[in-house]
Amino acid sequence: MKNNKNTFRLGVLTLALAAGCAQAADETVIEQSFQPYAKNKPSFAGLSAGMTINQGNVAQFKDILDPAFYGFIEKGWAELKVGETTSFDLHPNYVEATRQGMDKIQLGAKPGEIKGWVAGRPFPQEPDVNDPRAGEKLAWNYKYGYNWGDSAAIQPFYWKFRDMNSGKVERTIKFNFHFLNFTGRVNQDPKPAITPNPSDLFRGIYVNVLEPHDVRNTQLLIHRAQDDLKRDNSWLYLGFQRRVRRLATGQVTDAFLGSDLMIEDFEGYNGRISDMKWTYKGTRFMLMPFYNHNDLSLDSETHKDSEGYQVVAFGGQGGCFPNITWQLRKVYEVEAAPVDAGHPLAKRVHYMDAQTFTVPRTISYDRKGSLWKTFTIGQAHPDHHLPVNKGSGVSIDDSFSMIDVQAMHCTSGQFKGVVDAKLSPPEMFSVQHMRATGN
Amino acid sequence: MQTTTRTNLRNLGFAMLGGTGVALMPLASALAEEETRYTGFYENATHVRDSAGLSKFRNTLQLNADRALEDRGAFRNIKFHGTFRGSYDGVYDLNSSEYGSGAGGAITLENSAAGNSVPHGGGLQLPYTFDPANNPNEGMLVLGERLHKTRGGVAFGVPVRPCDKDSRGCIDDYLDADSNDLRFPEFNERLDFIRELYMDFDHDLPNGDMVSWRVGKQQVIWGRTDLFRVLDVINPVDYSRNNIYDELEDIRIPMWIAKADWRMGAGEVFDDLNLSFVWNFDKFRPHNLGQCGTPNSILDAACFFRGMNNLWENGGTVANFAGASPAGGVATDFGPGQIGIRKAHMPSWSLSNTQFGIKLEGVYGDLGFSLNALTYRSQLPSLRGGVPGQNGFTGEVAPWPSLIAFDIHFPRVNLLGGSLDYYSQAIDTVFRFEVAHTSGEEFANTLQSRLFSESDVTRYVIGADKNVFIPFLNPGRAFLISGQLFGQHIHEHQEEKRAWGKAGMPDWEQNWIATLLFKGWWMNDRLSPQLLAAHDFRARATAIAPSVEYLFNDNLRIIAGANVKVGRGAREYDDCRSCNPWDPFTSAGQPEGYTLGLGGYEPLGRFRAGPIGMAQKEDELQLTLRYSF
Repeated sequence: MKNNKNTFRLGVLTLALAAGCAQAADETVIEQSFQPYAKNKPSFAGLSAGMTINQGNVAQFKDILDPAFYGFIEKGWAELKVGETTSFDLHPNYVEATRQGMDKIQLGAKPGEIKGWVAGRPFPQEPDVNDPRAGEKLAWNYKYGYNWGDSAAIQPFYWKFRDMNSGKVERTIKFNFHFLNFTGRVNQDPKPAITPNPSDLFRGIYVNVLEPHDVRNTQLLIHRAQDDLKRDNSWLYLGFQRRVRRLATGQVTDAFLGSDLMIEDFEGYNGRISDMKWTYKGTRFMLMPFYNHNDLSLDSETHKDSEGYQVVAFGGQGGCFPNITWQLRKVYEVEAAPVDAGHPLAKRVHYMDAQTFTVPRTISYDRKGSLWKTFTIGQAHPDHHLPVNKGSGVSIDDSFSMIDVQAMHCTSGQFKGVVDAKLSPPEMFSVQHMRATGN
Repeated sequence: MQTTTRTNLRNLGFAMLGGTGVALMPLASALAEEETRYTGFYENATHVRDSAGLSKFRNTLQLNADRALEDRGAFRNIKFHGTFRGSYDGVYDLNSSEYGSGAGGAITLENSAAGNSVPHGGGLQLPYTFDPANNPNEGMLVLGERLHKTRGGVAFGVPVRPCDKDSRGCIDDYLDADSNDLRFPEFNERLDFIRELYMDFDHDLPNGDMVSWRVGKQQVIWGRTDLFRVLDVINPVDYSRNNIYDELEDIRIPMWIAKADWRMGAGEVFDDLNLSFVWNFDKFRPHNLGQCGTPNSILDAACFFRGMNNLWENGGTVANFAGASPAGGVATDFGPGQIGIRKAHMPSWSLSNTQFGIKLEGVYGDLGFSLNALTYRSQLPSLRGGVPGQNGFTGEVAPWPSLIAFDIHFPRVNLLGGSLDYYSQAIDTVFRFEVAHTSGEEFANTLQSRLFSESDVTRYVIGADKNVFIPFLNPGRAFLISGQLFGQHIHEHQEEKRAWGKAGMPDWEQNWIATLLFKGWWMNDRLSPQLLAAHDFRARATAIAPSVEYLFNDNLRIIAGANVKVGRGAREYDDCRSCNPWDPFTSAGQPEGYTLGLGGYEPLGRFRAGPIGMAQKEDELQLTLRYSF
């Protein structure tokens, strides 16, 4: 009997220890996923904050640059200013949601299927090269990332179409963009989901074009379903027609309003996970466009407002490169090959930032396998941006450049990103809102 | 009782207006607080027409003003919008011999019984005839002469100069534009230069829903259809600008309207649900059909009306009329007050003449829908016979059966309809459906003694939109292919085969028009060619409109295009020469008021030829330059 009692006690102790070890292990996973620079900051021989990488010294840094940007610097099209590696802490509620979801989330049988996710990062564990679905898990981490938080607005948002040879700005489109997560909400009420939500939507994107005149009053509404296998529902309000049209959303590879971006390119990747075959290629330390917006020399011409906010300036070849600083960061390299053989791309190579799971660099290859486009999304620290963004825990998309190297053409983006729930209320993401506000 | 009810309704209307005004007062006082945003454009549209030369030299200046205001009490999202437009069409000065003060001339009218033509005023004189001094043979065209020869049918002279140059046939308050009205169409007594002027504001309901208001001069658009107006019938349309071919946004005639949208948003079933109330409290306005003698007169209806009003007011010569049979007829001089159009009954402002609509609209997954109901005044004119006219043989004035003497009315029409859109993931195509059933519309009908009858009408459109990549044409940008089929069914359609031809309602009982839009984009959307085609199946007429749009920069846009019609043009139908109104003088053996179906191109063939068929001789080259700011 005594032996039995001891056996029982030993068992309980073992279980408790095992549970404690598991908890500790989970916490380590969380820590490593969200605080990769807590213990050590990455370094690279010869690299220091404040230096400039240019045509003269770029060869030295080939290992920490993606091949496309290396080529740009090598040709003298761009220079890269190096900044200090800094931590972009995501909001603690998002981290806590990740903690709550640990080990409860699984991929489904087919790509695009996931089970058990409520909120937070679904797969915070380090990717395993031996896991055939590691790339897909990273894609889910991106999709369910804290990209713009629960809701945010970019207002305004300037897109400039540029001839990369002459530097001529052919067209400037001024938008307002609004984002709202219907599910996976961790910070803004209601949490974790907005209800009722009869079509089980995951996210809404609402776009309003302010300028120029020929596209003014164009509004775009995208409803993305929680079910990744379902296509988006989209509606377009055309100012010159004064009515809402439902859009066929299959052609996400169409150039958006004539820019160098496909709709599928938005935010790094704006399609279904099931549309791609995802392959994890490895973890690297690379120079990535992360910076403090308020520390930059900004563009004083494009945008002026009563807050004194200015947008990121552009320079380099054709004015296609944001004048920002780059920092050495932990990156997951993920390859996404379209499932559809008719897709114009052979593949995209995404460089996902390990801490924020944003996709600040992407290289696209055409069907022949030649470099076609490269996408840079500058990430600004929320605590060094607009006062309203301080403490939001959102890595602010703050500048972008999509370069079509074959056409020698680019589209640049200059943001005023605002993380403020008041700017993106749920009623804005309804079809009727477009009718009610259109003129 | 009826009077009391009307008074109460009127008071209610004023109360609502007053309430709106009170609600807006504190808002208006806040206007000074924020900056107004101004945008606008200058546009020159130059069209050249085959055989006519310059047909448009329109210069438009449009200014838009927008101001967002801070929330005031329960009201939020308060915005003010104004659109002001003024234009000058130089065609009346630059091509005045075709469209202005020098247009038209002396005419001759077919006299087929004698195998010749006679000058206006030179026909067979009835005992009660007209004095050519009151209706001289000058400044006229023969009705329909730009499209067809008379070929044994009816024709008469139509004054074509602006109404200040020649007042003959100008119908008071309806088709009576003078030179400056044509040159500067927005500067008129309805203050059309104030194209839009409205305020938006929202307020919440206790249950969490919200109501969005838009009050002021505005366009209210229903439906999901391009080009056709099935549910989009709240605002009348100005066809004088460019027939049916301009964007509806530019040719809808804004009205003073109060619109309230009860936005219920997402619920347990629907992703979005909205109940909209529309009260058009503006004084009635019909479509602008253009004026006779101007480049764009849809269906050439304005020439028919002007010529008919001239006949009523002054009398005149009508080709091939007396003794008409399939073998021919004699050009005949009618006296005033015998045949023609007497006047237009324009509905005055009264509460009962205002127009009201309700729409329930929502989204259910991949399906969007609306249910619509509207009571309104027909924006198209109805010609009602039965007007007392003078018997040209006896001088007696009476409402003769089937006499071609009319008044113009705009009857009350009630509409019920709905629309759907659906996105098919399987074929990546959006389908659009729209249907409207109306009661109260009136149509010409030579079988009826007053030469019109009422019928229910069902109109519908099925449309499909698809974006398609054609890699060898453009690997990076999909082409838009959009097709529509519009159908119209006249339920109480009447038609009979009579001794000399068909008689009854000239409109087709069932007809369909198909449209196809094929549009592409190059050079980062700065170059965009498109092909738009429309085919009227029963009229066998097709319009083809290729165009190329090029954006020099964000401010400057040029569109070069053509508008070409092919197919059959004018169509024939019973013209009521054989209606025998003045029995026995007009009888060919048939009873009084009984048509034998003798027909020609004019005047009713236009309803069979439709707007495309009637414009067969209006091929154009078009160039539009717009500078936006």
